[in-house]
Amino acid sequence: MSPLKCALLVGAGLAALAAGPALAQQKGGVVNVATVGEPPTLDPMVSTADLVGIITQHVLETLYTFDKNWKVTPLLAEKLPEISPDGKVYTIRLRTGVTFHDGSDMTAEDVVASLKRWTQVASRGKQTAGNIAAIEAVDPATVRITLVAPYAPLTALLAFNNSAAVILPAEKQDNPMKEPVGTGPYKLKERKPDQYIQLVRFDGYKSLPGEPDGYGGARKQYLDEIRFVPVPDANTRIEGALSGQYDYVDALPVEAFDRLKGQKATEPVLLKPFGWPVFVMNTKQGLTESRDVRLAVRSALNMEDMLAAAFGNKEFFALDAAMYPKSYVWSTDKGTEGAYNVGDPEKAAALLKKASYDGKPLRILTSRQYEFHYKMAQVAAEYLKAAGFKVDLQVVDWATLTQRRADPALWDIYITHSPFLPEPALIGMLSTSAPGWWDTPQRRAVVDAFNSEADPKKREALWGEVQRVIAADVPFIKIGDFNALSAKAPKLEGVVPAPWPYFWNASLKK
Amino acid sequence: MARYILQRFLGMLAVMFVVVTIVFVIVRVAPGDPAAVMLGPDATAQDVATLRARLGLDQPLVVQYVYFLGQLLQGDLGQSIFLDRPVTTALAERAEPTFFLTLFSILIASLIALPIGIYAAYRRGSLFDQAATTAAMLAASIPSFWLGLIFIQFFAVRFGLFPVSGYGGPDAGFLVRLQHLALPALALGVVSSALILRFTRASMLDVLGDDYVRTARSKGMGEFRVVMRHAFKNALIPILTVIGLTAALLVSGAVITETVFGLPGVGNLVVSAVLRRDYPVIQGALLVIAALYVLINFAIDMLYLVVDPRVRY
Repeated sequence: MSPLKCALLVGAGLAALAAGPALAQQKGGVVNVATVGEPPTLDPMVSTADLVGIITQHVLETLYTFDKNWKVTPLLAEKLPEISPDGKVYTIRLRTGVTFHDGSDMTAEDVVASLKRWTQVASRGKQTAGNIAAIEAVDPATVRITLVAPYAPLTALLAFNNSAAVILPAEKQDNPMKEPVGTGPYKLKERKPDQYIQLVRFDGYKSLPGEPDGYGGARKQYLDEIRFVPVPDANTRIEGALSGQYDYVDALPVEAFDRLKGQKATEPVLLKPFGWPVFVMNTKQGLTESRDVRLAVRSALNMEDMLAAAFGNKEFFALDAAMYPKSYVWSTDKGTEGAYNVGDPEKAAALLKKASYDGKPLRILTSRQYEFHYKMAQVAAEYLKAAGFKVDLQVVDWATLTQRRADPALWDIYITHSPFLPEPALIGMLSTSAPGWWDTPQRRAVVDAFNSEADPKKREALWGEVQRVIAADVPFIKIGDFNALSAKAPKLEGVVPAPWPYFWNASLKK
Repeated sequence: MARYILQRFLGMLAVMFVVVTIVFVIVRVAPGDPAAVMLGPDATAQDVATLRARLGLDQPLVVQYVYFLGQLLQGDLGQSIFLDRPVTTALAERAEPTFFLTLFSILIASLIALPIGIYAAYRRGSLFDQAATTAAMLAASIPSFWLGLIFIQFFAVRFGLFPVSGYGGPDAGFLVRLQHLALPALALGVVSSALILRFTRASMLDVLGDDYVRTARSKGMGEFRVVMRHAFKNALIPILTVIGLTAALLVSGAVITETVFGLPGVGNLVVSAVLRRDYPVIQGALLVIAALYVLINFAIDMLYLVVDPRVRY
């Protein structure tokens, strides 16, 4: 080798070494995150609002969480629970050396107190409470949950950040919560309502070893601070992204996609697929109490037109009859044949005749808080009218909708949406107490079988049965899959598109 | 005169009582439930009922009203359901951005409206007068939030001169906070200038034809001095009245502008309180805004008393 070649090779090697650390994520910096508004509370146990979960997941942690494949993985627990052969006793070993933001050590006593609070104040916890015989500390690092009957979704429930079983110090279990003191990588420094929520790095944080894995794995604290800034106006959020004022901007209307492309200060982040819009039927009272009327509604609707009106470009939605898209283990076609995107007014009219429909108005409750709900409702109303329905489209604000839907005398259909939840048992509409009040012997048989089966493979098959009964009984109608649009500054690294965006593992390029 | 003041004062108290009652009834009769908002979309009816009971919302309306009045008489506007602080504290925290937004908007509006209004009246019927009158009509027709979005497009996104929204982070000093107020103040100022301009022009036209102006001119006084010292000074009272009322309007009327610009002011507080159904905050904020209106009207009444002796009798 000539001296020149040798020198070039050595030089290239040195350059590569120098570039190595430069490519690594750097510590420091403040990230400004524009959110859709001010969270109603900072207690993720009492609220099921996504915004509450997005913010508090940085501060308060659960025993388990979800990895990048949406499988339950340990977070504050040392490993997945040991489940007794009869499926009734869960023994949870806790990680040791984990401290709360107030400096105290996390022990089994804190976990027991927190789980008991969860069963008392969280809606998902209360639903589970009836099946829990005891929650007790075995030793300072072990907790045992004894169930009345096997309940497979328990670990997923303990992992979810919404109505979340977060672990708080035993002496800080007040309701309402006085201050969010948790074990998370960031702690609350200041909250100025409608101005900002300031989180700062928690120096005593004990991360899981290894690499990040979805919400699980290592949680690296590159950023000094995370500031969540409420920006309720969607147009202002778009401009805030374009001007570079915000490093991450959540929940943007999909129409903004083209404006975000090719910009210096920001770039679009598409979460594909994000969730599903849904028409929930009132199965308890009124017109849609009749299964034939529910079938008529579904037969009348053309989902493709509804999705096109709501999301415009096909890049942002997909027709999908299955409850879960292909990327989830829960995806199955069972029961969906002929039960989706029918758009057949004659078939719907025949079903209405069978149901002896007398022209009573079909009351559809929707809100413009989510403009795509309203757009879908408008298209649906026309298809329903074509089938012979008299439609009463009631457009109210979201707070009114959530109040009215609790009264079965006030509505027949309400429109909502949900992200794809990692565990089907978390779908609120499957609960008999959720507005819609779907409660039939068939539902009970398939849902109970699904909830009590521990074997993951068998559960996948059993979910197919649940989907078949949903398709046959029509307690709600899935309209399709849709994607979520956010924006991030190119300098912000390590942010993974997620339904509840998180900023541990994120860093700023200097 | 004392009787007149007492009458106006008692009238003011009666108006406040009616406002308090109407606000109390409207927020509770309107559909929506703070408990349902707080608990989120998947909360059960039972959870909502439990929280309603804890917040005292399950009590009959009359009981809630008597309790509310009792608190009010002690100067207590109640506790916010969502903000975890007394309503008075929440309002005090929001006073700064709203105060400065109002102040700067009025300053901008006056700086635009007064010279143009005076000159338009002075050159009545000229091209300048017609252009000013048309511009004022246009400005009055533009919604301030729309103008705000246009300003954001140009001054914040395209030229990067000002922030798009918010009121600065935890480390923001007074100057940074003022920077955040620039665009909303400009938007509100331009829109508010229309009314002041038209009042200034009309008021100046009234006085420019008066005898004392002619006398001043006949004495050989310079035109600038005639217009500013003699005419404008006498035209000022109605102009000040309209500026005062515009300021009062801005405190409450900046609701949409504050929301568009994400400014944590009183207007924004009212909007988020309405969306969340935070009853005590809605009541408290509307009460303060109404009180402000009533007080400004009272002050104007008192001003008339000073200016116009006929009111005294």
